[in-house]
Parts: sequence; structure tokens; C-alpha cells
Amino acid sequence: MISTDPWIWLSALMTICSFSLLYGDNPLFRFAEHTYTAIVVGHSVVTGIATLESRFLPLFTGAKPLLIVPLILGLMSLFIVWRRYAWVASIPISIMIGVGTALSMRALIATEILSNISAVIRESALILVGPPVTSLGYLIRVVFTLSGVFYLLFTVGHRGPISKPLSYLREFGKYVFLCYLGLSVGNATMQLSGLATSCISRLINQWLGL
Amino acid sequence: MRIRELKSREIWVVVLLVYLITCLIPLGAPFEMSDITVEIYEFIDELPEGSIVVIGGSAVFAFDLESSASLIACIKQMHRNNLRIVCAPYGVEAVQFEKYCVDAARVDKKYGGNWEYGIDYVQLPYMAGGAAAYVAFLDDVHTAIATDVAGTPLDEIPLMRDLQNYEDIAAWICPHWAFDMIVRYVIAEKDIPGIYFAQSAAYGSYVPYMMAYPGKCWMTNGFLGGAQYERLEGVPGLGHAVVDSYALMSIVYVGFVVLGNITMYTAREEEEDEIQ
Amino acid sequence: MSKTLTYYRTYLVRALIVICMLVTLASWYLVSPQIDAVANELQIWNMNIATFTLFVGLVTILSRYVNGVKNRSENWPFMLYATVLIFVWIIFGTITGIYADVYQVAFLSTKITLHIAILGQLIFYMTSAAYKLFRIRTFRTALYATCTIALVLLNSPLILGPFPIADKISFWLLNNPSMAGSRALMLTGGIGGAVLGIRILLGLEKGALRATEEL
Repeated sequence: MISTDPWIWLSALMTICSFSLLYGDNPLFRFAEHTYTAIVVGHSVVTGIATLESRFLPLFTGAKPLLIVPLILGLMSLFIVWRRYAWVASIPISIMIGVGTALSMRALIATEILSNISAVIRESALILVGPPVTSLGYLIRVVFTLSGVFYLLFTVGHRGPISKPLSYLREFGKYVFLCYLGLSVGNATMQLSGLATSCISRLINQWLGL
Repeated sequence: MRIRELKSREIWVVVLLVYLITCLIPLGAPFEMSDITVEIYEFIDELPEGSIVVIGGSAVFAFDLESSASLIACIKQMHRNNLRIVCAPYGVEAVQFEKYCVDAARVDKKYGGNWEYGIDYVQLPYMAGGAAAYVAFLDDVHTAIATDVAGTPLDEIPLMRDLQNYEDIAAWICPHWAFDMIVRYVIAEKDIPGIYFAQSAAYGSYVPYMMAYPGKCWMTNGFLGGAQYERLEGVPGLGHAVVDSYALMSIVYVGFVVLGNITMYTAREEEEDEIQ
Repeated sequence: MSKTLTYYRTYLVRALIVICMLVTLASWYLVSPQIDAVANELQIWNMNIATFTLFVGLVTILSRYVNGVKNRSENWPFMLYATVLIFVWIIFGTITGIYADVYQVAFLSTKITLHIAILGQLIFYMTSAAYKLFRIRTFRTALYATCTIALVLLNSPLILGPFPIADKISFWLLNNPSMAGSRALMLTGGIGGAVLGIRILLGLEKGALRATEEL
């Protein structure tokens, strides 16, 4: 039986307006697009107000008066939208860049670089250990990783006797990435299919009650 | 015989029909259980009663919907095992997503469960700042945040009195896209076990972390992983529904690729015949 | 603005970046309670400043929409509708609170539904794109198309039913060749990120500050 819940009707209207784009650009889709934009902005502001109340409570209760400094810096950051005085925002942004970059650097070196290198070394030692399928897997991991890194890092042209074998290695690295992208896209179809299932089933089951 | 090139709208009609059929007639498509999903399930089961599990990360609700299948089942499991959860959102929509999953799991007393807000689960407010927010939260929770999402000071919340810093966290579950932050600051630096209910589009990007941190980092794969977790907990939901529709959709997708190639080859043969 | 002020402004910003970076790195690599206290305070400041960025979108969108309505540009009635809706939503959300059930239902029924529908449409476009683009003419397209189709089929429950081993094959493909490509990207991305950090420390990168420095 068709739903009588106004929220489900609203949800169904939004879904139909959005899917109308498949037929072509039309006023229904424009309505949905502007609704989406407005609510994203509105929600950001609502979240911002709630978050500011939480973050600056120690300042207002007197527990941490030093928070006046980030309050002033935060207000300065809003000048970014004012072209003439956008330079005012560069001071709080520079603090964010400094702290964020340092935190990222220390983490990147440990997790992205060192841990992956140690994983490659660990897997190299396991190539001749275990059942054939697992050994093949470790071999593929090591060879593909090294050729992929070689392709990305050493893209400058080479001259001399080793240029031809190196060009083959770079070419192989290119195919490694083709393989990775193809498998990722194949896996990703499940996500998009699931999202389509979610909205169409909401229309059929929740709205129309079928 | 030359096969006509199909127009996009003709393909879309077929795709729409596939989804309509699977929504109206559930197929009950089978799927296999993965070892990694069982490993995650057993890890959660082995956590001592009363352990605090943080659910947190940063991304967009619509992308994270895929993780909700696993997360809702996992919350039910944690409710059954008397664990406690703290929802720590690092994205603007993460508050709404975490509330959605907790409500959908029906674990609160108002829905007939045993959990009470403030004692068994807490929702923290959005924490801006990216990496700095993660580091500040892990080092000293009560300095990083003053209140919960409703504005109640943390000292007045019983659960939050037991969560002072990263040492009080038994595990971190990430149902959001930005798992790299969790790996860097939670798993690698603080040695906290991390579980990622990965979106299938993100699985390929983040799976190297599972290989780099064996025994500390686990990932499920999209809706399929969600369906597996739902089966383990005995609560069929969105994961099962998606597996059903994907069963038909995958065949249609491959069918169109094959048809496209047949169309191309028949057209090519005809052109060669005309030339001859 | 005079050249002297511009000079001081530019170097103040660079000095702040260097100081904040060095304090944060020193708190990690050295043992000093004083540096730790300063670094923790900077992280809290970072969180507080970042919260204000949530309001930048409001100013940007409103300025665009108000100008659009004033100049009667294309879709101006929709811009007017969106402007009104923004304020209605802000008032509604501030009164009810972000964790209220009614706000949650309203948010799920509108924004989230729209976003899921927009993303869900992509499967339609992906299917028609696959029909048109996965035409196997060269080895590269054959490789790419084969990898994509293999994983689509191996994840399919209709294949998993008669061939349960398909699940293990799909995970093997994701955890070996696919993982290796991703790992290569991660390694080189990590190297690039570390180099970028050093360039920022040395003042060689202007990046986002370029817009605020040059006037």
C-alpha cells in the first residue's frame, strides 16, 4: 500500500527529480540540484554553529581563556572570501598548513613509505615458501610493485645500452597500472549498483509499498 | 549481418528493468563467506565486555552507505557482547551517518535494545582539522573535545570518564572513506587494531595497508562484505538486497560489453566486405 | 598596500609555517614536555580554526546566487529558491539541533536521498559507457576490459553459486596484482608528499597562500 509518510513522499520526489536527468536536462533536475546545494550549505552552517559552541565552551566558561586566540584567527580565516583583504586569512591558514604538513610528513614516511617497503621485503622472502598459488601471489606483488614504482619514478628518457631493457620495464609498469585500474573499476561497479538498488528499492518498497 | 549500435537510453531502460525486477522479486542469490570477514567477526567477539570501540572517520554519507550494511550488523554484535562505542566524526556528514547506523541497529532502549546513551554509546561532535584532530583526540580526548554532540560536558557523561586517551581504546572501526588517516595515526602510531568496512571502490586503494599491517588492520569488501557480516550476525539487510540486484546487474553489464564487441566486429566485417 | 608591509606580511606567513612545522615535528621526534605542550595547543588551534571554514561555502554560494538573482541570469528562480532554502534550513537546524530525530529524517529524506540517487545513476552511465568503450582493438583495451569484466563476474552471486572458488579468485586478484599497483602508487605518493613537505618547510611552495599573498 502506498505510503502516507510525508518524508517518504519527499524522498520519492527527490529520487524521481534526480533520475529525470537520464531523460535529459529539465526543470525537475534543476530543482533537485539547487535543493541539494542549498541543504549542503545549510547543513555545513548548522554543523559549524554546533561545533563552535562545543569547541569554544571552555573559553565562555573561563576554563581556557587562551582559546580567544584561535577564535580571532578563525574569524580572520573568513576574510578569504573578500578579495581585497584575503591576505588577512593567510595568517591562520599558514598555521593550519604548518601543523597539517608536519603531521602528514611524519605519518607518510612511516606508513606510506617504510611500511610498504618492509612489506615488499617480507613478501620477497616468502616467494619460495608455501603453496604454489600463494607463492605466485607474493611474486606478483613484488614484481608488480617494483615495476610500478619504476614506471612512476624513472620517467625520464634513457640513453645508452640499458635504455631498451629499461623501456620494457617501464612499459610493463604501465600495464601493471592498467591491470590495477581495471580490477578497481570492476570492483567499484558493486558500489554503484548497490546505491542504485538502495534508491530504487526505496521507491518501490517504501513509497509504493509493492 | 550488421548489428545496430544501441542508443544509451535503450541500455538505461534495460538496466532500470533489472533493478525493478530484483526489487519486486527477491532472488535470494547465494554468496560465499570470506575468511577476512570471519576474522573480523571473531575479533569483535573476543573483545572483553565493556571494551570501548571507537567508530570514526571522515567522508560523505552517500559513499559510506555501502559500509552501513556491515556497520549495522557489527553494532548489533557489539550490543550483544556488551561492548561500548564512541562515535567520533571527522566529516561534516559523519555525525548523521553514525546516528543513522546506531538508530538502524535498534540497540537503544527506545527501540527495545539494552543500550543507553551516555553509558553504552556516545556521539561526539564533528571534529574539524584533519590530521590534527585525530592526533589531538588520541593524545587527550577531554582536551580535544569539551562536549558531546548535544552540548553535554564530557565529564558529565559516564562513558567518557573511561575514555581519556588512546590507551582506553580497544579497537577502531572506520565505516568512512578516509581510512588512510586511521592507518597513519591510529594503527601505525598508537598500535590500535583497525577495522575498515571498505567501500568497494576504495578497497583497491587501501588494501596495501592490510598487507603492511597484518594482524592489526582488516578490511571487508563493499556490499558483499556487508552481506557476509549480516549473515554472520543473522540480520539480513541492505547487503543482502544489493547482492540480489548485483547478481542480475553483473550479467547484464558483461552482456552489454560482449554485445558492443560483437557490434564492432560485425560492422568491421561488413566494411571489409564492402571494400572487397 | 605598501611594499614594506607586503614584504613583512609574506615573511610573517612563511615564518609561521616553519615554526609550526618544526614544533610539530620536534614534538614527535624529540622528548620534551614543553614542546609537547606547545604542539598540542597548536593542534587544538588548528581544529578550532578549521571549524570556521564551514562558513566559507555560505558566503561563496550566497554571493553567486544573489548576483544571479539580481542580474536575472539563467535559472535565477531556482537560485532564489535555493537562497531561501539555505536560511530556512539554518534556522530549522539551529532550533532542532543536529542530533535531533526530526533533523535526521529531514536530512536523510532530502540531501542524502539526492546524493545517493545522483551516485546511483552512475551505474546507468557506466553500463552504457562500458558498451561503447570496452571495444577490444588493442592489447591494452583487451587487458583493461578483461580485468574489469573478470572482477564484475567473479563478484557476481550467480557465478559464486555454481563456482564457489570464484570468491577466492576475486580476492586473490584484488589482494595481489591490484594491491601491487595500489602499493606502487602509495609508495611514490608518499615520496612525493614527503618532498612536498620539505619544499613547504624551505619556503619553495606557495600553494594555497598564493591567492592571499599576491595583491
